[in-house]
Amino acid sequence: MASTEGILRAGVRAAPRRGLPPWLLIAPTLLLLAVFFLVPYVNMVRMSLLVKPAVGAYEPEFTLANYARALLDPFHWRVMYRTFWLAGLTTALTLLIAYPVAYHLSYAPRRRRRWLLMLLISPLLVSLVVRGFAWMILLGRVGLVNLAVQRLTGHELVLIGTPTAIVIGLVHVYVPFMALAIAGALQNIPPDLIQAARSLGASPWAAFRRVVWPLSLPGVQAGTLLVFVLAVSSYVIPILLGASNVLVMPMLIVQTLLDAFNWPLGSALSMVFFGLTAAVVALYLRLLARGMPWTRA
Amino acid sequence: MDARITGRGTWLAIVVTGVYIFLIGPMAIVVLAALNAGDYLAFPPQGLSLRWFIRAAQTEPFVRSFLFSLKLAAWVTVASTLLGTAAALYVVRHSARFRNVLRLAILAPLQLPAILTGIALLIFFLATGIGTRGMRALFIGHTLVSLPYVFLTVSAVLAGFDRSLEEAARSLGAGPFTTFRRITLPLIQGGVISGALFAFITSFDQFPISLLLVSVGNSTLPIQLFDYLRFSFDPAAAAVSTVSVLMSVVIVLIVDRLVGLQAVSWGAQ
Amino acid sequence: MSSITLRGLTKRFGAVAAVRELDLEIQEGELVTLLGPSGCGKTTTLRLIAGLEVPDAGEVLFSGRPVTALPPERRNVGIVFQNYALFPHMTVWQNVAFGLEMRRESPRLIRDRVAAILDRVQLHGLEHRYPRQLSGGQQQRVALARALVMNPAVLLLDEPLANLDARLREDMRFYIRQLQREVGITTVYVTHDQAEAMVLADRIALMRDGRLQQIGPPEEIYRRPTNAWVAEFVGLSNFIPGRVAGRENGLLVVRTAAGTFTCAGEAEAGRDVLICVRPEALRFDETHPNQLRGTVRERVYLGNLVDYRVEAPGGLQLRVQADPSRAVAPGRAVNLSFDPSAAWAVHAREA
Repeated sequence: MASTEGILRAGVRAAPRRGLPPWLLIAPTLLLLAVFFLVPYVNMVRMSLLVKPAVGAYEPEFTLANYARALLDPFHWRVMYRTFWLAGLTTALTLLIAYPVAYHLSYAPRRRRRWLLMLLISPLLVSLVVRGFAWMILLGRVGLVNLAVQRLTGHELVLIGTPTAIVIGLVHVYVPFMALAIAGALQNIPPDLIQAARSLGASPWAAFRRVVWPLSLPGVQAGTLLVFVLAVSSYVIPILLGASNVLVMPMLIVQTLLDAFNWPLGSALSMVFFGLTAAVVALYLRLLARGMPWTRA
Repeated sequence: MDARITGRGTWLAIVVTGVYIFLIGPMAIVVLAALNAGDYLAFPPQGLSLRWFIRAAQTEPFVRSFLFSLKLAAWVTVASTLLGTAAALYVVRHSARFRNVLRLAILAPLQLPAILTGIALLIFFLATGIGTRGMRALFIGHTLVSLPYVFLTVSAVLAGFDRSLEEAARSLGAGPFTTFRRITLPLIQGGVISGALFAFITSFDQFPISLLLVSVGNSTLPIQLFDYLRFSFDPAAAAVSTVSVLMSVVIVLIVDRLVGLQAVSWGAQ
Repeated sequence: MSSITLRGLTKRFGAVAAVRELDLEIQEGELVTLLGPSGCGKTTTLRLIAGLEVPDAGEVLFSGRPVTALPPERRNVGIVFQNYALFPHMTVWQNVAFGLEMRRESPRLIRDRVAAILDRVQLHGLEHRYPRQLSGGQQQRVALARALVMNPAVLLLDEPLANLDARLREDMRFYIRQLQREVGITTVYVTHDQAEAMVLADRIALMRDGRLQQIGPPEEIYRRPTNAWVAEFVGLSNFIPGRVAGRENGLLVVRTAAGTFTCAGEAEAGRDVLICVRPEALRFDETHPNQLRGTVRERVYLGNLVDYRVEAPGGLQLRVQADPSRAVAPGRAVNLSFDPSAAWAVHAREA
C-alpha cells in the first residue's frame, strides 16, 4: 500500500513540467526588494559617510564627520534617551494592559472570540492620523478628560503636548498588536497541561504562574519586541499628541533631512538610531532567553 | 474549557471590558464628533447633523487626496496581491533551504521602521533622479509594506492546504495551470482576498512612507488630514476620519466572513 | 488507595448526552479498562472521575466518600493524558517534582521521592532533560512517574499508548500492568483497543453511547457477551439467528435455518435469539454435537491461521478461522461443528 502510494506520488511530482520554472514566482518580489529596499538602505549607509558641502546635498567624498556629529552632540543623546524611555514605558504598559485581554480572548468560547477579535482588530486598521486625532479630541483643552477633571477637582488637566499624552496614544495604538502576539502563544498551550497541573494539586493561580505564564513567554517576547521597535520609531502620534513640544528621534531625523536638508547627517543619525535600537533589542533578547532555558535545549 | 479549570474570575471580565472601551472609545468619539451640529469640536455635541460631512466633501484638497489615495491603494493592492501570492506559493511550495531567509527578506519592510524606509527611499529616488513626482515613488514605497500582508495571509492558508488535491487533479489529466486555476486558487482565495484587503488598507492609511514621498499636488488623504490638523481643529477633520473608521470596520467584517479573523490573526505572528 | 463508585453519572454537552446514568463500582487495587468506540463516553467518564468535568447529575465517590463537588486538585488523582501533557518548559525532574511542590512538601522529601520514583520507572540519569529530548516511551514513563509520585488514591490513564508505535505499545502494556500490580493502585484505563483492554484489565467495562454495556473479566466479556453489539465489538463473531425450543442439560436448544443447536445462555422458550460462535470455535470436522454443512466461498491466509468465509443453509455467512496445516479449497462442501459450551445465545432484539 505505502509503496504504491509512494510510486503514485513520485509519478505525479515527476510529471513533465509544462509550466515555467517555479523561481519565476519569487523573482519579481526579490527584484523589488533588491532594487527598492536593499539598495536604498545601502545607499543610506553610504550617504552617512559622505561629506555635506555648504551648498548642495552631498559630495562623493568619504568622512566620519557625520557620525562624530551625531554621536558627540549631547542634544542628540537627550532626544535618544527620551525616545527609548517613552518606547520602553509604552511597551511595559501595553504588556500590562494586553495580557489580560489576550488571556480572556484565548479562553473565550468560539463565538464570543469572533466578536472580541473584531473589536481588537478594527482599531488596528484605522489610520494612525485618525487615532492621533481621536486622542487630540479627548486630551485637549476642550476634551472629555479635561472637562471631567475640571468638574471634579476644579483644576485643569491638559495632556496634549506632554509625554503622557504620547504614551497614552502609543499604548492605544499597540495594545492590539501585543494582545494578538500573546494570544497566539496562549493558543499553543495545550489545555491538557493546565488540567495536568490542576490534577497535581495546583490552584488556578499556581497553574497560571507555573505553567501558563512561562509558556506564554515566547508570545510576550514577540509582542514586546514588536511594540518596542514600532514605538521607538513612531512619528505621527508623538507629533500630534506631543504638539511638537516633545522631540523624539524620528522627528529629529526627519527635521534634519527635510528642514535642514542635511542628508549625510540625517543618514548618520538614522544609522546610530538604528544601531542603538538593535543593541537594545539584542540585550533584551539575551536577558529573556535566560528566562526560557527550555527553548535552547 | 471549564471555567473551574482555567480559573477565570469576574475581575478579569471587568479589566478586559475596560480595555476594550479604551480601544474602541476614541473611535466612537471621532464618529460622534463628526456628527456634531455645532461649530466646534466640543462635548457634549450640540445636536446631530451631517453638515460637517458635507463641508468635508466640499473641501477640494480632501476630495482630491481621497481620490488620489483610492487610486494609489488600488494599484498597490493589485501589485502586492500578485507579487505576494506568487511569493507565498514559491516559499511554501518550492523553497527548501532558503525558506527562512526568503521569509525574513519579504517581511523585512515590516520589521524595519517605516520612517527609516521612507527616508532611505526618498534619498534613493532623489539621488538617482527618479524623483518623487506623480504616483511612482509612493506606489513602490506602499507596495513594499503592503506585500508582506498578502504574503502572510496566503502563506497561512497554503500551510493548511492538502497537496494531494492537486495531485489528484494532475492524475486526472489537468495541467499545472488548469490545476492552479480550478483547484488551488478557489481553495486559497479567502487568503488572497484577505491579504488584498489588508494591502489596500495598509496603503490607504499609510503615513510615514507617504510623509516622505508625497509630492506637490499629489497628497494622500492621511497626509492631507495631518496637514489640516496642524492648523485647524474642527469637525470637518472628524468627518474625514470617520471614513477611515468605517472602512476598517467594513474590511474586518469582510475578512471575518471570508477566512475568519482567527486564521489571519494567529497566522500573522 | 480508594475504591471508586459512580452513581447515576450523567454529563451532557449541549444536546448530546456523553454519559448517561452510569453506575460503576471499582474495587481497591483493581485495574478496570473503559473500552468502547470513539464517542462512547469513556474519556468523559474518566474526566468526571478526575474532576476535570462537572457532572450534570449523579455522584462520584472515592471509598464511599463523595468527591463530586471537589476540584481536581483536591481529589488526589493521578492522571496520565493521551499526549502525556508533560510541561515542556520543565525538566524531567521538575515535571515529577511539580505536584509535590504544589503540596508544599519539604525539599528533602521531594528529593527523595522524586529520585525513588524515577528509579522505579528507569529514568535515572535523564533528570535534567526536557520532555522534547526524550523518546515517546520515555515521555510516557515520565508521565507515569509524575502521576505516581503523588501516591494518588486512584490512577487514571486516558489512551496512554495511543501515540506510541506498535512494538513499543506492546511492551508498554506489560510494563504498565506490572507497575500497577507492584504499586497496587486502583486504576481506570481508557482505551478503544480491545487487545489492550484484554491484556491489562482485571475487568473490562464496555461502553456505548454513554451507557455501560457490560462489565466483567476479559474472558467473560469474550465468551459470554450480554448482547450482539458486545460480541461484535470484542473480537469477531458469527451470529446464527434462531428461536429457543427449550432446555436440555442446562443448555438451550435453538432451532435455526441451518439446523438445531444447543448452546449456553439464558432465554425462555419461544424467544428469538442469536447464537454467537467465535470463528475459532467453528471446526472443519464432526467432533462436536452441533453440526452443520456449508460451502467454502473464500480463503485468506493470515500467517498464524487461515480465514474462511463459509456459506451455510438459510443464507448464513460464517467466518471460520482454522489452523493452516489443513487447507480447504474454496468451492468445496464441508462439515462444520462447534462445542455447545463455546456458543452463547443473546437476545435478538438487542442486536
